[in-house]
Amino acid sequence: MVVLMKVARMMVAAALLGLMPGADVKVVHITAERFSFTPSQVKVKAGTVVEFRIESEDTNHGFRIPAAGIDGVVPKRGKGELRVRFHAEKPGRYEFECSKACGAGHTIMRGVVIVE
Amino acid sequence: MALTMVNKYRVPGYLITVALVLGAGLRGQAPAEAQAQARRIEELEKRVAELERRLGEVLGKKPEPVKVAAPETKVETAAPAQAETRLPVSGYMDFHFNKPRGEPGQVDFHRFVLLFGHSFSDRIKFWSELELEHALVEGREEKGELELEQAYLDFLIRPYFNVRGGMLLAPVGLINERHEPPSFYGVERPFVDTVILPSTWFDGGAGVFGDFGKGFRYKAYLMGTLDATGFDASEGVRGGRQKGFETSFRNPALTGRLEYHGVPRLALGTSLWRGSTGFNVPGVNPRVKIFEIDGRYRRGRFDVRGEFAQVHISKARELNVAMQREGLHPNVAERLRGFYLEPAVRVLPRRFPHELALFARYENFDTQNRMPRGYVPLKQFDRTAWVLGATYYPEPDVALKFDYTFMRNASAVVKAVSGVNVGIGWWF
Repeated sequence: MVVLMKVARMMVAAALLGLMPGADVKVVHITAERFSFTPSQVKVKAGTVVEFRIESEDTNHGFRIPAAGIDGVVPKRGKGELRVRFHAEKPGRYEFECSKACGAGHTIMRGVVIVE
Repeated sequence: MALTMVNKYRVPGYLITVALVLGAGLRGQAPAEAQAQARRIEELEKRVAELERRLGEVLGKKPEPVKVAAPETKVETAAPAQAETRLPVSGYMDFHFNKPRGEPGQVDFHRFVLLFGHSFSDRIKFWSELELEHALVEGREEKGELELEQAYLDFLIRPYFNVRGGMLLAPVGLINERHEPPSFYGVERPFVDTVILPSTWFDGGAGVFGDFGKGFRYKAYLMGTLDATGFDASEGVRGGRQKGFETSFRNPALTGRLEYHGVPRLALGTSLWRGSTGFNVPGVNPRVKIFEIDGRYRRGRFDVRGEFAQVHISKARELNVAMQREGLHPNVAERLRGFYLEPAVRVLPRRFPHELALFARYENFDTQNRMPRGYVPLKQFDRTAWVLGATYYPEPDVALKFDYTFMRNASAVVKAVSGVNVGIGWWF
């Protein structure tokens, strides 16, 4: 049972990584810095799997899409990038925000994914 | 919604493929065989990790840091999370040694700042910044200051339209809203951001802000105005900040900022501020207008930033008369102007885990750029500064700073004072 669960997890991961046919993956690079995401608006078509690759120009930032339950930490400058996959199944606007306090203007660090 | 977070350093794709193939082969096998197979997979993963580590050592590279935990998660809900969240306390500190030429040196714990935040929901958020300046506060003495620089609530409605109210930072200039020590070079903030634009500039108010998309975003606030009785020649309007202490709100100031972030590592901004400032001066109500434009850009090892700011004070002559500032006393000017340009380069090889930035900043600022009729500008207030220095980052949130400031002015009588500055600043 444990093995089957492990295999199932790997298959889900593989599907989401694009190793299995049918996954339409769109890679979006985002630069995070005090106090902005660039770009702050991302448009995709419904059904797309979006892989956000987020790199910081300064300190740790958070990348949170509340409507999808995504919340990750963007490593500090020069320490790598955060990769997050978002399956844009339904049309709508999905706001994202910095979820890790990063300075005086932290609360304005926001953006939106528009699924068409 | 479905998602997964992956860590490019920890889960190589080929491992997952191998595991997938091996895992698929497990179907229909006896449990004992399957468990043995699983143990084998784990053992292989450990061996690959060990080999990667050894390879890194052989190549002279440091092991890649373990970064964000990457749970392979699938979320099957689109319901927004509404739980209250208390953010951990964060803050920044600024500790300086200043040695003006010909004077004894001083150490100063310039800023001890704590930031607190709370999310009541995904739509209502609180943010605050409490600052202790110069380490010591004593009643009725010229010592340090305990300041509530920010304490506001955000009501998030749409990305392009949100409402904010409370104690706010004036959205003016490059430094006022982005003043964490590792985010700027030099031990002290630029002179233009001190005597032309009075950072840190904060007061009570309310307003709107948002992001139009395409990289454009804005802020527009009604805030407490400046008090003209605090203006002077050497530091301009800086002494006029009310700092939210029983601020007069009879004629609130209107201020706004437009920013462009459409290109990675490029930030452009312009700010405006306009307010009537004479609520404490009988019969005179000078109107102050501030215009500012700034930019930052970084490409590879190089970055550059610059700013231009101008302050216009109407009825400056009447204000000087009312304040009895006549003769040779430093009078309030009609126009103050300043700008700076600061190129920098990061010099250490990329494989080095630390960073060292060398920078040079040229500043020109004049707090008596144009005087009202009947008043002569004092040349000691027409100043230029070359700030040359280095900032060493043992890690991105810790900055060890050194600079030398060559200060000059246009006066043949009063000499400007140059000096050396050493500092350490950190963010957590």
